[in-house]
Amino acid sequence: MATVAIDSLLQNPRLSVSPKAKLLLQLSRSLNCSRNRKLLFSRGACFCSFKPRRQIHAVNASSTDTALIDTFDTSSSDDVLYKETFPVKRIDKVEGKIFIRLDQSKDQRNWQLTIGCSLPGKWILHWGVSYVGDNGSEWDQPPKEMRPPGSIPIKDYAIETPLKKLSKGDMFHEVKIKLIPRSGIAAIHFVLKDEETGAWYQHRGRDFKVPLVDYLEDDGNMIGPKRGFGIWAGALGQLTNMLLKAEASPANSQKSSSESNDSKNQTRQREGFYEEQPIVKEVSIGNLVSVAVRKSPDTTKNVLYLETDIPGDVLVHWGVCRDDSKTWEIPAAPYPPETAVFKNKALRTLLQPKSIGHRSRALFTLDEEIVGFLFVLKLDDNTWLNFKGNDFYIPLTGASSVPGQHGESDTSSEEISSKAYTDGIINEIRNLVSGINSEKSQKTKTKEAQESILQEIEKLAAEAYSIFRSSIPTFSEEVVLETEAPKPSVKIPSGTGTGFEILCQGFNWESHKSGRWYMELKEKALEISSLGFTVIWLPPPTESVSAEGYMPTDLYNLNSRYGTIDELKELVKNLHDAGLKVLGDVVLNHRCAHFQNQNGVWNIFGGRLNWDDRAVVGDDPHFQGRGNKSSGDNFHAAPNIDHSQEFVRKDLKEWLVWLRDEIGYDGWRLDFVRGFWGGYVKDYLDASTPYFAVGEYWDSLSYTYGEMDHNQDAHRQRIIDWINATNGTAGAFDVSTKGILHSALERCEYWRLSDQKGKPPGVVGWWPSRAVTFIENHDTGSTQGHWRFPGGKELQGYAYILTHPGTPAVFYDHISSHYRSEIAALISLRNRNKIHCRSTVKIVKAERDVYAAIIDEKVAMKIGPGYYEPPGGPQRWSSVLEGKDYKVWEAC
Amino acid sequence: MEVSVIRSSCQAKICKTELGYRDLRFCFGKNHDKNKIFSRKPNSVCYESQITRLRKAGLRFTVKAVHCEPILESKSATRFKSLDRVRLFVGLPLDAVSECNTVNHTRAIAAGLKALKLLGVEGVELPVWWGVVENQAMGKYEWSGYLTVAEMVQKAGLKLHVSLCFHASRQPKIPLPNWVLEIGKSQSRIFFTDRSGRCYQECLSLAVDDLSVLNGKTPIQVYQDFCESFKSAFSPFIGRTITGISMGLGPDGELRYPSHHKPAKSGTITGVGEFQCYDINMLNLLKQHAEANGNPLWGLGGPHDAPTYNESPNSNNFFTDHGGSWESPYGDFFLSWYSSQLISHGDRLLSLASSIFRDTAVNVYGKVPLMHSWYKTRARPSDLTAGFYNTASRDGYEAVAEIFARNSCKMILPGMDLSDEHQPHESLSSPESLLVQIRTACRKHGVDVAGQNLAYGAPGGFAQIKKNMLGEDVLDLFTFQRMGAHFFSPEHFPSFTEFVRSLSQPELHLDDLPIKEEEATASVNTSSDPNIHMQAA
Repeated sequence: MATVAIDSLLQNPRLSVSPKAKLLLQLSRSLNCSRNRKLLFSRGACFCSFKPRRQIHAVNASSTDTALIDTFDTSSSDDVLYKETFPVKRIDKVEGKIFIRLDQSKDQRNWQLTIGCSLPGKWILHWGVSYVGDNGSEWDQPPKEMRPPGSIPIKDYAIETPLKKLSKGDMFHEVKIKLIPRSGIAAIHFVLKDEETGAWYQHRGRDFKVPLVDYLEDDGNMIGPKRGFGIWAGALGQLTNMLLKAEASPANSQKSSSESNDSKNQTRQREGFYEEQPIVKEVSIGNLVSVAVRKSPDTTKNVLYLETDIPGDVLVHWGVCRDDSKTWEIPAAPYPPETAVFKNKALRTLLQPKSIGHRSRALFTLDEEIVGFLFVLKLDDNTWLNFKGNDFYIPLTGASSVPGQHGESDTSSEEISSKAYTDGIINEIRNLVSGINSEKSQKTKTKEAQESILQEIEKLAAEAYSIFRSSIPTFSEEVVLETEAPKPSVKIPSGTGTGFEILCQGFNWESHKSGRWYMELKEKALEISSLGFTVIWLPPPTESVSAEGYMPTDLYNLNSRYGTIDELKELVKNLHDAGLKVLGDVVLNHRCAHFQNQNGVWNIFGGRLNWDDRAVVGDDPHFQGRGNKSSGDNFHAAPNIDHSQEFVRKDLKEWLVWLRDEIGYDGWRLDFVRGFWGGYVKDYLDASTPYFAVGEYWDSLSYTYGEMDHNQDAHRQRIIDWINATNGTAGAFDVSTKGILHSALERCEYWRLSDQKGKPPGVVGWWPSRAVTFIENHDTGSTQGHWRFPGGKELQGYAYILTHPGTPAVFYDHISSHYRSEIAALISLRNRNKIHCRSTVKIVKAERDVYAAIIDEKVAMKIGPGYYEPPGGPQRWSSVLEGKDYKVWEAC
Repeated sequence: MEVSVIRSSCQAKICKTELGYRDLRFCFGKNHDKNKIFSRKPNSVCYESQITRLRKAGLRFTVKAVHCEPILESKSATRFKSLDRVRLFVGLPLDAVSECNTVNHTRAIAAGLKALKLLGVEGVELPVWWGVVENQAMGKYEWSGYLTVAEMVQKAGLKLHVSLCFHASRQPKIPLPNWVLEIGKSQSRIFFTDRSGRCYQECLSLAVDDLSVLNGKTPIQVYQDFCESFKSAFSPFIGRTITGISMGLGPDGELRYPSHHKPAKSGTITGVGEFQCYDINMLNLLKQHAEANGNPLWGLGGPHDAPTYNESPNSNNFFTDHGGSWESPYGDFFLSWYSSQLISHGDRLLSLASSIFRDTAVNVYGKVPLMHSWYKTRARPSDLTAGFYNTASRDGYEAVAEIFARNSCKMILPGMDLSDEHQPHESLSSPESLLVQIRTACRKHGVDVAGQNLAYGAPGGFAQIKKNMLGEDVLDLFTFQRMGAHFFSPEHFPSFTEFVRSLSQPELHLDDLPIKEEEATASVNTSSDPNIHMQAA
């Protein structure tokens, strides 16, 4: 380790005022500004300590040592390609000593303690006293008379007194403390603090202790005439960061006569002493590394000159590069003297000391095609100097001396420079955004700048958008796939029918009243079929607590208020004969019990599936189930079935298969599927292989202060999530579309019918083949009217769903009303044009009072009071249907 | 402090605003860099007067630190209205930090922050959830996720407004801390309860504020510990990156009763909501209050003739416009009590927050809801059920503004994007009038108002926000809610950009423009150096 003389700190490099250098500096600075690059040492360059001379021949450079300096000053620097001085910092350790002296003043009456330090620094004595009879290690503040001028009390236990220089220019600091006779002070305790570095200097991990009475027990940190041996480390803990040398201090303490006395002298005679303690201080030393590059006029080579004021042996660890990639390469010889190849990767050149000053330097001759010179400095095995974490990089071609490729700019990390770039454009965008249009500002900001900022913003927003979006489960690919419309002949996988289905809900809330609904419906089978329906949905067939059938008890008892099991079978047969597929309404979420348990709670089932309370979810206190927690929302009126139980699932699967075989159902309408996980539905559908299945996943749309949000993505996403959970084996009622139609029609806000991407805003816009669109059912309408479609606007609703993709469902009440003929016309138009669940829809208008779309390029439609005519007019499109606030065209 | 010196007057304004709300003692202890900024403004008279005014204010500030700020602010607001620029914030996603304390969609947020910075947005708002930070056990805080976000924000050079959320979120689902819910399972009395006994599990009832229901601690103590822990965990950011903190005051962070347990379901009209005074502790308080008033029979429960959640005011007798029970002595008794409970709850929490953050350079905010449905009726039932005794004949927001003033807090008002025009006619709603009413009360008490929007995508939203931001009263800041897929979508982001750019135009004033070309050029040059140093640092 090099131990450096302290005065190297004060060393003043000579100032050079080369005009050329100044020019370069200016240039780089202005470029820095405009490019927002960091300007790291523009100031440093001012005390560049070296100038290139006109002619340097690399080969003999080392022999012209002495001449160099002289020629520098006179040479012109026209051919200087590059010139820079890098400030470097290194940590060095300097040794010094602390001395402690206790002596009598000249008048022999008063004693004084002198504490000094030989190192430069801003030394503070942090001290206190202990009194005779004190126990423990607490300090007290000394009496006021003892405190030298300039002392500051620290809380109530210590004093801080700065050490003063003995004279100007002297590095010696000291402080004198006058002792007061008969004060009862047993010892003075102190530590030394260097305010410059914040370091504390202690004695063996503890405070220094100067005993003033000699019967003090030495607990290891005592200084002075008593024995300094047998010291053990104590723990003070309060003060840390000490850097005292580890050698035993008594080695160089001058104890004069005290040594022989101390073991014997039992008197209370106070003795003077003088002691020194070595200390080591870490100092940061600034040095300079100067580099200049010149073109050699005689050859085609460049000459690089490197000089530093770092004392001692300095090794340059270097290489060159031939492009901007800055990959180290070993150039061809010749090399400077004292050069060795290091591991085939770099060269090492020992700098040669210069004859004057504490400097060393080297000359490197480099081929013209070499673009850059890379190096680091090695001082010893553990000390390397680089440039702020990177290699020094010296560009060698004239062009490359612009800051962009300048070594210094690369010293900032990637992150900082990108931030710098960002900050730069931020400044510009502030101008831009503030929109100040004075002529003045027009000059300073160019159009390109504005555009690049806006592009940057756009790019970032797009990036953020894509990531945020992708964290929503993906469905868009699906849509793309499905919009490649399948041919009518293509067989669609289970659960969705042919894709050309039109569903009829074959009952309403009152259908149970007659007690013979099956028989009544049987009469209408042909009629329903002739309207163009392909699928009919029948009411829940099981024995039920409520007449409507949605509170099932014994699943195998199919005698209900709608009719007997035999009537049901007959009905299904008739419907099949009429060409209709039949959906059974199955309630899987809950089941009403037959018996009470010992607590009087109804949770014991009877009938063929005589489950007990293990089949009931455990998180509904009303029914005291012993099953697991519900995998969905609870329906509170009846015990919710725990589908996580193997036996429950097995029984339900068997039941569904039985319904398929025994009754002839073709598929299912699944009641209240919010109540359990869609994955179980998949299980049931896989077992019962329905031709068509649709789930009722009904929850609230998003409203804000009574106004429905335009964006119902969250709502439709929940439905999509459920369909996903069923693995797409079932579709779902498109509650989103119904809700949006409500708002659009009721409040004349037809703009709602286009989502942000110009697609239908409901489930049908995202996953049309699984969306069963509807405008009313037995719950929302009929005599319950929980969420009735805006009155008088039903046909607009049907004009929408019957022309759009998805599988439309028509409510029984509407086909038995005066709407019947118009609905029939819409259905026949749908069938005629072969619109199917994956048809493409192009929204051409979504404004306040009108919505218009073209489907499969075959059908155009509009709803709303506003005006719309399809493009091309009557020659391309013929109007086929028209009603109140809706109109439909077919392509000619 | 980041002071980027740019020639534009807009920039000078930013700095000035900062001066206004920062701790003034701190500001004037600094060197004269700031003055340099001001001197660049051509209107030197204005600059002089402003400095002296601020100095005066600064002196008062030291005397009574807590109360001076609003006074100062309102002064500057009225005098320099035309020059002030509203600081625009954007809310981060509610689930920016997940339950397991990782940052959700980090890269998206990072890109988003950069975009916002470029756009000139001042900062972002970050909801910090009780149910995320102190989820597992009382006193066990996990800040790492939020610290990461704060670092990202700092790195992006944006400011941060932190909302401390002591409530739960429905969508995305962020419940209350597990241990609180566990306690709630055995003691449902810690939650607000309605007439039919249904609990609202998304925040604690205000009646337990000072009861030791949480493992021997009161909710107030738990909130306090939470805030203290926040303060120490974020100390490197507080006052620098973090410039504002919102204290959660109730459901959705707002000062109110959860008069609607669920967002309106079917149908488009929000009903009147229900009174939430049926948890045992509330009933006890009511009983005591009634007995003290000599009407013990009035303390047995809430009004018997109030409608249910989704009903309209006239469906029962209490809120009927003429002759409704709300105007009877009983009505006044009940409504006074019900609203005073809410006010003192707000006071407790705001004074807690302001005393914790008093010694920092951040502003404390609280959010007050905009219960605008049925505002055009005389009884204003939505206000009443939410806890504001605000009727056609009584201003219920004066008392609210007063507690904000008392605790030197600023008020956040949502719904700045709502216009009367787009409200369903039948709801007799008037968000605009209510906003004016509350802001008037705030002005009277010297309380600064910060704005928020409720939902984007509503027609005319941006125009309405702009109207509110640039109107008569100056907003302290505006927080746009909120970053996410839709925010950055091609359908929305361009209109947001347009909105931001349009914001600063109206404030263009002839004398804002630089007079001399030399002066301007010089400042551009001097500006480059500090900038570069800033980046190097």
